Amino acid sequence: MKTLLATVLVLLSLVSAPLFAEETKLRVGMSGQYFPFTFVEQDTLKGFEVDVMDAIAEEMGREVEYRTAAFSGLFGMLGSGRIDTVANQITITEEREKAYLFSKPYVYDGAQVVTKQGNDTINGVEDLKGKTVAVNLGSNFEALLRELPYADEINIKTYDSNIERDTALGRVDAFVMDRVSASQIIREKPLPLQLAGPTFSSIANAYPFPNTDEGRALRDEVNAALSTLRQNGTLKAISEKWFGTDITAP
Amino acid sequence: MSTLDVDYMLGLVPVLLGYLPLTLQLASIGMLLALILACLFAVVRVLKIPVLNQFTIVFISFFRGTPLLVQLFLFYYGLPQLFSALTVIDGITATIMGLTMHFAAYMAESIRAAIVGVDRSQTEAALSIGMTNGQLMRRIILPQATRVALPTLMNYFIDMIKATSLAFTLGVTELMGATQKEASGSFLYFEAFIVAAVMYWIVVEILSWLQGNLETRLNKAYSR
Repeated sequence: MKTLLATVLVLLSLVSAPLFAEETKLRVGMSGQYFPFTFVEQDTLKGFEVDVMDAIAEEMGREVEYRTAAFSGLFGMLGSGRIDTVANQITITEEREKAYLFSKPYVYDGAQVVTKQGNDTINGVEDLKGKTVAVNLGSNFEALLRELPYADEINIKTYDSNIERDTALGRVDAFVMDRVSASQIIREKPLPLQLAGPTFSSIANAYPFPNTDEGRALRDEVNAALSTLRQNGTLKAISEKWFGTDITAP
Repeated sequence: MSTLDVDYMLGLVPVLLGYLPLTLQLASIGMLLALILACLFAVVRVLKIPVLNQFTIVFISFFRGTPLLVQLFLFYYGLPQLFSALTVIDGITATIMGLTMHFAAYMAESIRAAIVGVDRSQTEAALSIGMTNGQLMRRIILPQATRVALPTLMNYFIDMIKATSLAFTLGVTELMGATQKEASGSFLYFEAFIVAAVMYWIVVEILSWLQGNLETRLNKAYSR
């Protein structure tokens, strides 16, 4: 038993030793799987989120270190203190506000139903009754769907990734995502998809921080940087570069 | 049917190859540690050492009885919640811990079976000519048990290589994580994942070939 415990401890310290090195960089978590906000091309992390966070960090005079993980793991990393915040279009919700401190919103958007091209039976959220709808695990769109009065009649399927693919393949009838990235996917990617009807809920996205003194201090710094970037037009410019429109204003 | 983007696939090969070493590193360190742990467990189980034996039985039962992904989440996200100092466990460490304990539990049982499988009359013979327990293990039992256990242990190693693909949920960008991110940027899923699949496949094929060679060597004493 002792030997075993000792072995495990030695192994632990061996492998984790480099981590005790000092950490001053701003550690930002993102999925790297949410086009065009955060994605990878030829090994380079890119996207709207990366550009905005780079600008914020420059304003704050700090270096950023991006840590990518599956979306379902990001809040775990934030909760266990492995990252300082998440830059992944995190929507402000009541539940999340109980657990985290949020910065000011930097993206305003709406929830959008998307179907396979040529599907004219679904023309908005009210047509989802009796249909199978895909959402990303841990995303706010699942909660939005479950709040609908007829939520019981919708078969909600949660995915870790690739919901747009399964919709295009016809495995599910539709998926729900924010309008901005949905239109971007349809415009740029070779998938037969279409927007189905208008958006059904307005959402505001911001950076979550741990509810601690350091978290609060960091949040205030980020807010100050965001205000500056909003005033000097940087936010708008980044948005127009990626989306051709300003999604950073309500 | 749309056509395959071959240029994209070729461009992806060097990128993904860059993540293969991490995948192999996770699996090899995990395998080495799991092997050590599994041998300890097997010996404890065969010799029925009190207390340790009961502990091992519970350990094996838990790590065989729960999914690897659940164990990874427990180590990486769960433990730091109870003991904040454990935040020092990074994704790579947590992955190796999970792989080690999960696979050690399986391997302990196949090593134990291999040891028990050596005919009891040999133990009696060795003891009757005055060998100690240690000599008996080293000279008689283990050489034969190794030969029996090798194919299943290699099987577990192969399984472990593929199990490293769960590490991206802990923020470790290994081969699978890199592929997922590339695919979500290009939306060329088939192209990206087939490149990754072929890479895993080639690695496993090389290992199977090594296993064949190793088995031939260990079987030399038995061939006529």
